[in-house]
Amino acid sequence: MAGELIIADRKFSSRLFIGTGKYASNKIMVSAIDASGTEMVTIALRRVDINNPDDDMLAAVDWNRYQLLPNTSGARNADEAIRLARLAKAATGVEWLKLEVTPDPYYLLPDGVETLKAAEILVKEGFIVLPYINADPVLAKRLEDVGVATVMPLASPIGSNQGLKTKASLEIIIAQSCVPVVVDAGLGTPSQAAEAMETGADAVLVNTAIATAGDPEKMAAAFKKAVEAGREAFLAGTASIKHTADASSPLTGFLRQE
Amino acid sequence: MAVLKINGQAMDFADDLPGNLAGLLEHLKVDEATVVAEIDGDIISRSDFVETVLADGQKIELIKLVGGG
Repeated sequence: MAGELIIADRKFSSRLFIGTGKYASNKIMVSAIDASGTEMVTIALRRVDINNPDDDMLAAVDWNRYQLLPNTSGARNADEAIRLARLAKAATGVEWLKLEVTPDPYYLLPDGVETLKAAEILVKEGFIVLPYINADPVLAKRLEDVGVATVMPLASPIGSNQGLKTKASLEIIIAQSCVPVVVDAGLGTPSQAAEAMETGADAVLVNTAIATAGDPEKMAAAFKKAVEAGREAFLAGTASIKHTADASSPLTGFLRQE
Repeated sequence: MAVLKINGQAMDFADDLPGNLAGLLEHLKVDEATVVAEIDGDIISRSDFVETVLADGQKIELIKLVGGG
């Protein structure tokens, strides 16, 4: 467990997954992806603007280096997510899928009922499903039962940079899960990513915090270190919290003694 | 006169309806290497673009990959 993360028989050395939205340019995105050390990147599907068919972001990246993880962003129910999943597979040839169903655009919170419904169908179709969910331990187990490859509970709303607001529930999910737990959404700083990893998450997925940083390449490198540090701390076993002081120096042999 | 509804927009083709999906993408100046299509709800893979014949009244969705989280 110390080294590689395994999802659906694929090994990952990096436990930092990267989203490709919101970058100011393809060049900045490529340098940030590179600095992050990631081996998995998410992408989305949208209509071509037929009045202005522009350049393609995919041309900028060497996709052979990364596991592509198409998402179903924009889906408001299971049917829309399934349609997007099938289109994503046709577009990329990849069966990996970040399943997300977000009916409400204000908070973009995932609809657990529709997500479970879609996951069951897509797993049967052969997709490797990584569902984005609220930090709901019961739902996480239900998804595991239908054969998802991971669960991806949110830390806080997508793009909010609020950090680990769901920690108590995440701890339960991590304690119970038989599939890797990827904390997805809301991590705003490297320290928050480190905290998620210290808590025992198997990986984190970060987009906004890197893409909209002053220097995305530098921030990607900072997240890389934080995720590695958090993982090492988790494996090391964190020291216990006490209500009173517990001296680090010996309590004998003081010079004040006669 | 033939009309195709492409990505929600109706497009009129007088006598020059492209013979197949690959021709339509060329007409629209869309790079077919980056696109997946759906015609009346059926997904058309890139490898089938040339063989996919177009007909009046079809609803066509042209979809591409973009950055996303």
